Amino acid sequence: MRQIVQLQLPDIKIAPSKYLNVIKKYEVILDRGKCTGCGKCIVACPEYIGSAPVDYEAFQKPEGLLRIVHPTSFCQGPTCQRCMSVCPTNALSISLNPQYRMLGDVRWTSDMISSTWKQAETGGIPPGYEYRIGRSEGGFDKLRFDFELVDEKQPDTISSKEQTIDTSLILNKSDDGRPKIMIPIPVYGGDMSFGSVSLNVMLARARAAQAWNSFTSTGEGGYPDELIPFKDHVITQVATGHFGVNAETIKRARIIVLKYAQGAKPGLGGHLLADKNTPDVASIRDVVPAISLFSPFPFHNVYSVEDHYRHVQLMKDINPHALISVKVSTPTDVDMVAIGSYYAGAHILQIDGGYGGTGAAPDIAKKNIAMPIEYAIPIVHNYLLNEGVRDNFTVMASGGIRTAYDVAKAIALGADGAVIGTAELIALGCKRCENCERGRGCPSGIATTDQILAHAIDPEWGAQRIINLYRSWKNQLDYILTKLGLESINELRPKNSVKFKQGFFNHLIHLDHRR
Amino acid sequence: MAAAFERYHIETKDAVLKIKFPSKFIVKRYNNCLNVQECTQTCIYDVHKRKDDGQVNEPNTDLCRGCHLCTLVCPKNGIVLQINPDFETVGDSYFTPDKMKTISFEAETGRVPVSGTGYKGLFAGKGFDGLWFDFSEIVRPTRDGIHGREYISTSVDLGRKLPYLRFNSTGILHSQIPQTIEIPIPMILDATCPSANRDSLRLAVVKAAHKLKTFAIVKADEYSNGLIAYASNIIPRLPGEQVETFTHLIKISQIIEIEIQNKEKITELLEQIKTHNQNVLVSVHLPYDETSVEQALMLTKSGVDILHFYLSDDICIQDPERIVTSIRMVNTSLVDEGVRDEITFISAGGIAEAAHVPKSIILGADAVSIGRAYHIALGCKTCYGKNHTFDCPLLIEEEESEMVSQRIINLIGSWRDQLLEVLGGMGLRELRRQRGERGRTLFYEELEEKTFGENR
Repeated sequence: MRQIVQLQLPDIKIAPSKYLNVIKKYEVILDRGKCTGCGKCIVACPEYIGSAPVDYEAFQKPEGLLRIVHPTSFCQGPTCQRCMSVCPTNALSISLNPQYRMLGDVRWTSDMISSTWKQAETGGIPPGYEYRIGRSEGGFDKLRFDFELVDEKQPDTISSKEQTIDTSLILNKSDDGRPKIMIPIPVYGGDMSFGSVSLNVMLARARAAQAWNSFTSTGEGGYPDELIPFKDHVITQVATGHFGVNAETIKRARIIVLKYAQGAKPGLGGHLLADKNTPDVASIRDVVPAISLFSPFPFHNVYSVEDHYRHVQLMKDINPHALISVKVSTPTDVDMVAIGSYYAGAHILQIDGGYGGTGAAPDIAKKNIAMPIEYAIPIVHNYLLNEGVRDNFTVMASGGIRTAYDVAKAIALGADGAVIGTAELIALGCKRCENCERGRGCPSGIATTDQILAHAIDPEWGAQRIINLYRSWKNQLDYILTKLGLESINELRPKNSVKFKQGFFNHLIHLDHRR
Repeated sequence: MAAAFERYHIETKDAVLKIKFPSKFIVKRYNNCLNVQECTQTCIYDVHKRKDDGQVNEPNTDLCRGCHLCTLVCPKNGIVLQINPDFETVGDSYFTPDKMKTISFEAETGRVPVSGTGYKGLFAGKGFDGLWFDFSEIVRPTRDGIHGREYISTSVDLGRKLPYLRFNSTGILHSQIPQTIEIPIPMILDATCPSANRDSLRLAVVKAAHKLKTFAIVKADEYSNGLIAYASNIIPRLPGEQVETFTHLIKISQIIEIEIQNKEKITELLEQIKTHNQNVLVSVHLPYDETSVEQALMLTKSGVDILHFYLSDDICIQDPERIVTSIRMVNTSLVDEGVRDEITFISAGGIAEAAHVPKSIILGADAVSIGRAYHIALGCKTCYGKNHTFDCPLLIEEEESEMVSQRIINLIGSWRDQLLEVLGGMGLRELRRQRGERGRTLFYEELEEKTFGENR
């Protein structure tokens, strides 16, 4: 019996980029010698139509060519070429912007970052961008849904029928009398502490979580008072450093996450460099400012699965209404950890893969320790299934989940949902320049504790960006499920063990193993 | 009486080369600048600065960290950020520009490279990129080596070990315990590049080895008198045929290394060497090839103390997979034959970043020998002795040797700290325990097959 859930989704409102310029994918180059100044190209351009008198600026390039620059233009490149086709003297050419190539990396490609920005701005997907996969040559980037191969270029359009698709997820699957918390999309916000990100970013995420009736997490840096109005949508994290953790903050939360390890630095604990430990951060964390803060590994009261049981029970005793989530990383015996957590009484297992985001981690740890999430999800799913407890336990995947398609693939591999960190920050304008950790922190004002830089993010604007992004993701999930002929996201999660046959399993195709 | 316990520590301090590593980014400002100073107000890295007359200065590209902000805020859209073409042409497909930049950073500061945001590279790759370390979700109490609460040992022993002890009927130890030498880090410094044949460079390398309490290999014909003061940290490498020519080196060294074509004669050669110095450990330097396995077994049985296998840089570039299969092959054959603990296995080749040291060890080597990587730390452009003769950055002057030495120390110091990160993450407190830990290694092919393959 499937309950049709009609959800009130938050509205999309345009939340434009706060910068004057964009990092364009393509640039239009004008040969000044050939240009007659007729202006046909300007009229032909879909980005210019209907706009006020075009304020385009051209400037000298060494070759004597002009680069037509419109500050907000979003040139679609070779797929459009209208300006080129109307030019009477063939004076125009379109080329890739060299700066665009510099944006991002193989995991978060320039296309993916740009399309995430665009989704955050408008709630829709811009044409001409690969927003589904990156170029990392493995894992999610090699997995496709079967319909994608048939019909690769099809844009994601949503008809009214698809709006009835159920993407909601119930986080408490056990029958222990604790609340059956439901979130409308199988995604909630990951753990980011005050200290690693600014208060404004936390507020933006909390507002978005409230609008979505979903969750965001405090991370391990304590619970700033400003978040109290959003307390129904804020997860309290209890991590090894116990920064700012007390009975009060634990009692406040509807979900408590016990962070045992983090995928980006498994086995190493957390590390806030002294530069970012400002007096504000220190006061919330109950520490001395301007020293490096380590949260050790592991919990020094948990050295066995029995200790783990007591730890979970302790949290349950302190807050009798909260759900307990256990965040672990991905060792080879992640299946043992999962079943241990289940019997310890946890409601949610969050497995954090090796390629996840972080405020600061040694480069050697980010790449080389613990396995990527794509391998860990099937291991956990299969094991829990064999033990007969899969349907009583929620498994959330995190660490390297970048797009709506990644979410859907993670679910098709056996997770219930995903926890998202980096994508939310990209929506707020992160450029992945990896300078979060020292000095004044993030120049874009996201991962910073600098009081001046932090003002770059307006919580209301930021919340709208995250809301828009998730609306776009919801649409994409609806589209994927419709294409697969499913009515609910729960049907996408495999009912049996994950077993690829000739590269095929549960609507998924692995390109390297396809035969 | 045993010496007082001294915690091993590598002293690092900033050491800057005269020729800087090319910056990764270039920032260009076009000539439509209106001097509105948006860029100077936005940039937090001081790339854009005002001049005294209020005009904006040329961007200082070296300080740029690629955050794109100046290009986004410029009202005339007159700033362009690009990857420096000079940066991209550095190195080769194995020693990529990013790897070389990391080595350069480590050598300059001695720090562990730390960055924000997640991993940015390929999902997996060939060779060393195709494996991950396992880690421990729940570890034993106070296993916290990284923040210094518990000491993690990175020491390894060089030399032979007995498979078992023999006692006579009265209970007196009968076996003769062979001599081993403990070095506090699993890294030795390989011989210097032939294109940079200069005594001052070798002296700097040897001094670094001395400070690091490890060994540096010096070719016997390059062993100048100035190096004799550091003889206890030098492994002279001599051709097997000319042992008699270098008896003076055998006498002053703790370990010697021989290169020998005809391995049949190794037993007599060992006897000949031991007549000059009873206690010297003998290492054999030989390439990884098809015959590695049988040679390793033969040499182990003949009484050699150390096997030093190497893979040339050319092969690493052509086939990055080769080094991984080679180390595994040699280790597995020694284990299968039941003689693995009797010999020390040093691997050289393919070491281009800190992670490759523990990866070589987890695949089965006892220690690694670092060659090209420390050359890069000193400014080598990876010409592999082909192009440069007169402008090689390794042709250092006498007065630079202190700084050069410090750069090597910084590099090794940083790598050791990163080794500790890995050991801490794995829940090990002794590097010796990591050797050949097959069960704690995650191989890309195996995981891929297990997850997406046919599930046999």
